[in-house]
Amino acid sequence: MGVKDKALGVAGRFRASATHDLRKRVAALEAEVQECRQLNLRLAELTDLVTDLLVPLARSDEAGMREVLAKYQESI
Amino acid sequence: MRRPFSRARVSSVSVTAEGIAARSRREVVLDVAFDDRRIYSFWLHRDGTRRPDGTRLVPWPHAIRKFLDGTTRLTLTVHETGQVVHDAEVRLGQDGAAGGAGRIAVVNKDGQPLSLDKSLRLVQTFDNRSEENVRPLLDAIDHVLAGLQAAGLEPFLAYGTLLGAVRNGKLIGHDSDADLGYVSAHEHPVDAIRESFRVQRALVGAGYRITRYSALAFKVDVVESDGHVRGLDVFGGFMRDGLLHLMGEIRTPFRREWVTPLGRATLEGREFPVPADTDRFLAATYGKSWRVPDPAFHFATPASTRRRFDGWFRGIRTGRPQWDRFYSRRRVPGAEPSELARYAAQREDPATPVVDLGCGTGTDVLWFARRGTPATGLDFVRRAFEAAEEEAGVEDLAARFLTCNFLEARSALATGGLVGAETGPRVVLARHLADNVDRRARRNAWRAARMMLHDGGRLYVEFLVQRGDGVLARRERAKIRRPAIVARELRSVGARIVERETVKIPRAGRSGGSPTKICRMVATWE
Repeated sequence: MGVKDKALGVAGRFRASATHDLRKRVAALEAEVQECRQLNLRLAELTDLVTDLLVPLARSDEAGMREVLAKYQESI
Repeated sequence: MRRPFSRARVSSVSVTAEGIAARSRREVVLDVAFDDRRIYSFWLHRDGTRRPDGTRLVPWPHAIRKFLDGTTRLTLTVHETGQVVHDAEVRLGQDGAAGGAGRIAVVNKDGQPLSLDKSLRLVQTFDNRSEENVRPLLDAIDHVLAGLQAAGLEPFLAYGTLLGAVRNGKLIGHDSDADLGYVSAHEHPVDAIRESFRVQRALVGAGYRITRYSALAFKVDVVESDGHVRGLDVFGGFMRDGLLHLMGEIRTPFRREWVTPLGRATLEGREFPVPADTDRFLAATYGKSWRVPDPAFHFATPASTRRRFDGWFRGIRTGRPQWDRFYSRRRVPGAEPSELARYAAQREDPATPVVDLGCGTGTDVLWFARRGTPATGLDFVRRAFEAAEEEAGVEDLAARFLTCNFLEARSALATGGLVGAETGPRVVLARHLADNVDRRARRNAWRAARMMLHDGGRLYVEFLVQRGDGVLARRERAKIRRPAIVARELRSVGARIVERETVKIPRAGRSGGSPTKICRMVATWE
């Protein structure tokens, strides 16, 4: 094997490993992006629940709060 | 998607126990009819497997195999041209048998004709339905549209229903449901989701029955005149960065003025709202060739669209279809309680109320209630505990059942709050919950448990750690979980693990082999 072939072989291996590394990084990035997207739903759920409960809570209206909670629980 | 060539030459048609085979150089959509009634359609190339002789075999769809015993006149027609390429009596049998003597009848248990929709599911499709049957559906569309409008949305006919209305003013025969859509005034997924939740509450408050598919789409059940329950799907959408996003398939460059102000179109003689530019809207849905009928159309949703919709809106129904199917037949509660129920009962004061997370048929809930322990059962499939709920009512037991989906944080939190608001310690059971649901649902379940145990008490968790060759894993549909991971999850929401043991499940009448093992954990919150 000539010097050139050897160099090509090393370069090929380097490229293969670099590609492999990039693939892994892209997969990891995709998973992280997906995690971020999933926060949208969580945020919406929490905001939705809090928005419904906050007024009776601030009024210390216990009966009203239970009624809201029971209705909310049933409507899902 | 490539359109089939309109003058495809179809030859070498054969019908066997395996399926239908034919040869055509060009792609072609073929309609299959039994005794002059269309049953389903397929794309020869897309759905077929090429055989050495050059023909393509399209196997019988799984859903109709059980009907294929007897004779029928099978007609194969090129969908676009109406050209009949096969028309002959065939006799089909199951498992290599010669086939029965009767006519093949693809009907439901009431004798109503069925066919396969584009997803190859057995449905009562509109081409079998009389005007009398269609009228309640049109009424239902009006009714649901009115509900959505009252909730502040601007709904319109979407997908197949829009296609039928615009193409020829009729419901599409091979479609089985009616689809509605709306484009929110909001442009952020969080706001669009909140709006969808609010609309769902408004509809439930107005007496509609809703099943949620995702954070931006739900189904409204409508009972038709013959008792048939048909679902109207409501798909939410929104504009963002110059793109229309519409559940569950569309993400495409669009303008708001192509949607609103809404136009009108006639469907089965009645006027309904439709997007302002139906041509552009249908092209966005079905491609530019939307005018050419294709009963076997499949959506080719780009992966980038699916990823976005999955990430933003989906994941609240994981595992649900299997459990819905499991409970689709009425299941009655068992006579004997679970080992976990006995285990907890031995250690706890019978006066302490019990909550069963993922109660299924409610066997343990009834058992506790009959012993005088107030008990609550939670499950995400309402049908699962309907029989137990009835029994509890008849026997006047202190048992109640609530629908709770741990895949939805709002459901877990609202249920946790509702139960936790009742003062006093409690016993919470989670039997084969941890090994059935994913990490997200477990996190919500442990949070709900924490809320329920606000005034003290214990959480009993049981899950599979080794499958073994017993039947338990299959019966409970459980996946193995590592105790260390479940313990870490519980600790992360403030729990203290006070007991933890691995139990080998003995198998009746057998020894040796690989044993099934479960883990039992008891947790408390200080």
